[in-house]
Amino acid sequence: MVPLSYYLVLSGVLFACGVTGFLIKRNIITIFMSIELMLNGVNLSFVAFAARWQQQKPQLAWPSSLPCSALARL
Amino acid sequence: MAISLHLILFSAFGLVCVAGAVNLLVQRHPINSALSLIVVMGSLAVEYLLLGAEFVAAVQVIVYAGAIMVLFVFVIMLLNAGEEERTGGSRVAWLIGIPGMLAGAVIICWALLRHSDAGSAVIGALPGAPADIAQLLFHQFLLPFEVTSILVLIAIMGAVVLAARPESKQKTKKEG
Repeated sequence: MVPLSYYLVLSGVLFACGVTGFLIKRNIITIFMSIELMLNGVNLSFVAFAARWQQQKPQLAWPSSLPCSALARL
Repeated sequence: MAISLHLILFSAFGLVCVAGAVNLLVQRHPINSALSLIVVMGSLAVEYLLLGAEFVAAVQVIVYAGAIMVLFVFVIMLLNAGEEERTGGSRVAWLIGIPGMLAGAVIICWALLRHSDAGSAVIGALPGAPADIAQLLFHQFLLPFEVTSILVLIAIMGAVVLAARPESKQKTKKEG
């Protein structure tokens, strides 16, 4: 049993790392990597919420966020 | 709360994850950042697996740690990206930006941990097997799925147009 808030803190830390990288990095590829980091942090929070409420549907948010990152990369 | 196996594994891989993310920020060469991003993706897949989201974990490894990271490394080699130059950062950033960011992070963490009785995630709690996901994806969410594929198609067309434009210009110049 891990409290939901631990997962949220982890996802928040990942998101914060992504934002920091987005702001301080100067290479465009590294900036895209920081965006990926932010997306992954948000996805972790989705899956944690899904596990808390025993729902399957939030897991589908993962594939739907994928095209956004692919579009961003183009 | 008793220390369980779930908590131990969560903290271990969470630490690996955060260490990889911080390493991504610290490293100066893009290839080192890409390699540390792979560490982040892999440990996140373990976190998903701990929650029982088997499908998401598998796709995380296959798509993110596999395909997307190969794409990143390929682009880094193609563009021959070198080490980035560092500036010291302005004084305003050091005086206001960093303390403000730290204060915000502390406030958010405090607000989240204050509600640690909001419920907990049991290990393997999620019905996240591929069959369950497929049932949802291809029955209830078929239309969003198809709309997403159209979106990807448009993105591919955009990439082709963007990549082909300089060539056609040169061609018309030569012809003219």
